[in-house]
Amino acid sequence: MHLSLRLLSNRHPSFIARTVFVQNNDIDNACRLINRIMGKEGLLAQYRLTRYYEKPFQTRRRVNHEKCKAIYNEDMERKIQFVLRKNRHEPFPGCY
Amino acid sequence: MISALRNSVRASVTSVVRLFQTSTPQATEKFVHKRIPAPDEGVQGEKIIDLDSALKTKQNLFPTLESDYQLYNGIPYKDLPICNIRVSHNNTIFTLTEPDGKVRIIRSCGMEGFKNTKKGTNIAAQTTGITIATKAVVQGYNTVRVRVQGLGPGRLSAVKGLQMGGLNIVSITDNTHVSWNPPRARKARRL
Repeated sequence: MHLSLRLLSNRHPSFIARTVFVQNNDIDNACRLINRIMGKEGLLAQYRLTRYYEKPFQTRRRVNHEKCKAIYNEDMERKIQFVLRKNRHEPFPGCY
Repeated sequence: MISALRNSVRASVTSVVRLFQTSTPQATEKFVHKRIPAPDEGVQGEKIIDLDSALKTKQNLFPTLESDYQLYNGIPYKDLPICNIRVSHNNTIFTLTEPDGKVRIIRSCGMEGFKNTKKGTNIAAQTTGITIATKAVVQGYNTVRVRVQGLGPGRLSAVKGLQMGGLNIVSITDNTHVSWNPPRARKARRL
């Protein structure tokens, strides 16, 4: 009940979101875990982006670069999967 | 004859003098900004830790419906004192507050005796963390929950300092303000 009230009254309730409990006094791991989660959710990237104003031309350039990078990464991933694939008809193609 | 001798002497003198370069050295390479190492923001493990394995192996890592009332050192979680850490590039500020937000102890790297750039280092954050932790223990705060805000070199070492000072840390919360439609930020730095 208390929790649901807190969730309703506050859009960013503290100590519910972005919270990690420390296990066995292992602070390092907890910190790293929360950093990892923040990084993966893109919060840290957004925080760093919004420290200084980004001019529209810079936004355009950044977005274009990200698109190119994503396409390249996808292709490269496919290539790597192709080379590393198992169960080939011919186990060592091109080798006799 | 004499003039020839004089010429040869002058030539030798000039050749000796040429050994010492007096003109300003010409830059051979352009300065590459990429060579500067990335600044330490205390966000270690941002890209390394395998999230899935961590989630699989450990239980009770994240708050649940009951976690507000779970007892830590005889106190329910929601009534534990809070240690707020405000981390920035230039300073680290600790405030120990009651659960309702009343400030009990406040301490920053500047108050600790670090001046200027040294305020924004991880060592400064750690020593400040140790001092505020010892003060808190003296005042009777043993178990706290930590709320970190901002990115900076002191982010990780501040929490570590609190533990080294003798505080028992129950949880770590991140409270960095992140907005997807922020007001216009200050103009970019010119490097």
